[in-house]
Amino acid sequence: MRWCLALLLCCLLAAVNALSSSGSRLLVVQEDSTEKSLYSKLWADLESRGYDLTFESPKSDKLALFEHGERVYDHLLILPPKAKGLGPSLTPKHILDFLQKDGNILLALSGKSATSSAISSLLIELDIHLSTDRSAVAVDHFNYDTISAAEKHDVLLLQRPGSLRPDVKAFFDATPPLLAPILRAPVTAYGYNPKEEIPSAEDIQATGSQLSLVSALQARNSARFTVLGSAEALEDQWFSASVKAPGGKKTSTVNQEFAKQLTAWTFKETGVLKVGKIQHHLATEHAERNPKIYRVKNETVFEIEVSEYAYDKYVPFEVPAGDELQLEFTMLSPFHRLALQPVRRTETSTVYGAQFVTPDQHGIFSFRVNYKRPFLTNIEEKHEVTVRHFAHDEYTRSWAISGGWVWIAGLWSVIGGFLAFVVVWLYSAPSSAANAIKKTQ
Amino acid sequence: MPSKRHAASTTSAPAASTPTSTPKSLSSGPATLKTNASAAEIAQHVWQQYLTTTPQRTLLLDAFMFFLVLVGGLQFLYCILAGNYPFNAFLSGFSAAVGQFVLTASLRMQTSGSGPGSSKPSSKGKNARFAGEDEEQTAGISHERAFADYIFGSLILHFFCINFIN
Repeated sequence: MRWCLALLLCCLLAAVNALSSSGSRLLVVQEDSTEKSLYSKLWADLESRGYDLTFESPKSDKLALFEHGERVYDHLLILPPKAKGLGPSLTPKHILDFLQKDGNILLALSGKSATSSAISSLLIELDIHLSTDRSAVAVDHFNYDTISAAEKHDVLLLQRPGSLRPDVKAFFDATPPLLAPILRAPVTAYGYNPKEEIPSAEDIQATGSQLSLVSALQARNSARFTVLGSAEALEDQWFSASVKAPGGKKTSTVNQEFAKQLTAWTFKETGVLKVGKIQHHLATEHAERNPKIYRVKNETVFEIEVSEYAYDKYVPFEVPAGDELQLEFTMLSPFHRLALQPVRRTETSTVYGAQFVTPDQHGIFSFRVNYKRPFLTNIEEKHEVTVRHFAHDEYTRSWAISGGWVWIAGLWSVIGGFLAFVVVWLYSAPSSAANAIKKTQ
Repeated sequence: MPSKRHAASTTSAPAASTPTSTPKSLSSGPATLKTNASAAEIAQHVWQQYLTTTPQRTLLLDAFMFFLVLVGGLQFLYCILAGNYPFNAFLSGFSAAVGQFVLTASLRMQTSGSGPGSSKPSSKGKNARFAGEDEEQTAGISHERAFADYIFGSLILHFFCINFIN
């Protein structure tokens, strides 16, 4: 009975955790609770995907990211505050600590109000540099929305981003079902402070694709931090707005879809890799699994099971075209660096494998898989094994090597010659007369 | 210049005649060489001399040593041409030939040292003191003892080589 209850509890827990691979507690930091309604569609979207939303003001006394040194929330969404900072419980240090404890953060900025110095210093810690002019906005006189920003040109129309590199999964693309990474400004955009009337060419800090409108950072512990340049992009107003580029057709925005992909990636619903079973053994039938010791020149098989989390379940991980999952067999430096090929597929994972001959070098080696790619959590596996040299009776006998036959023949002909010589010597003893002569000498 | 050459030839004539005097003293041997013999004739003479004056056992030793040189040379040549892959096999085969050669050479020194036609007369003039010791040594070792030592050394050599060739 109790066993059944435990099983039921497990099922319930699984159902609760089904959405994000790293928990569902989401804290939304919003200064003004009246602004909550501006983003109602986003909240509904997040709640429908299983997040427990908690709304707090940065000024609130109750707000704390940690309790007894543990994270209270799994994810953090910070909407731009109007005040100078985020308050005493959200200092840059607290936020970095949160990141270090595997918390994920989505930080939205806004062009409407000046960015606070606390946020700038936080971003500089992560090597993201904002314009020194705190209230600069990105404008583009070629890709603006003619309906809402005919004068100011500060509503930019952007294509869905493609892949960062050809060998990176396009997580934020529209056509593949997954998402994408950094959204760069179009080449014709530039940063500009609307309060100054005419920007001079020297004052422009960054132009075109130097401007990142959406930047993603994945820490070494795979915690994710996303900076969204414009909090307004998440507002209901833009989720279903119609826009018209100069000289273009009127289209509806895909902000809702993009927001979904962005939050899903940031809060670890996509692009999360999990390593399952790792096996290495000799390439013989019924070999011992994961032995501690190998011999030099052993034919060895290594297999690793990798799955990828996609919204609510694990699916087999496929390496993007042009990329490779690699196995290194290293002692200080890699002696082998091999591409792991998909061997078989289970329902939730792909098993990658490689077969190789251990190098002619004994020592402590390790099987290493080090797969770090943008937008995918890091895989870093290291399994140590000992590689011993040949035992004295494991060398090939010299008669098994045809190259040595000449020397074997040489040795035996010397021995045969010796025996023949001994026989002839004994039968050719000098006559006693000769001995007598010798004695007289 | 021609006068000088003439002088050299005249002085060399008695020098050339001295080695011919040694075979004269020997009881056996073919006809002595003439003073103006060609190189081929000299070689032929030396070979004939060797065949007639060397005891049979020493001849046998020399034949065996020639065989060992041949075997060792062939193995070394093969190593140069085909590479030294089972290196232990090369070392073993080649050192067996070399070692056997050294042992046979020792046996030859011990058994033919006091025989006729040895190089004793030449060494005697140079350092008589050592030659005397040498004679004592060779006199102290009988041929049977030398041969037994040779067999013993060879067996040890073969044992090591067969082990080493694996």
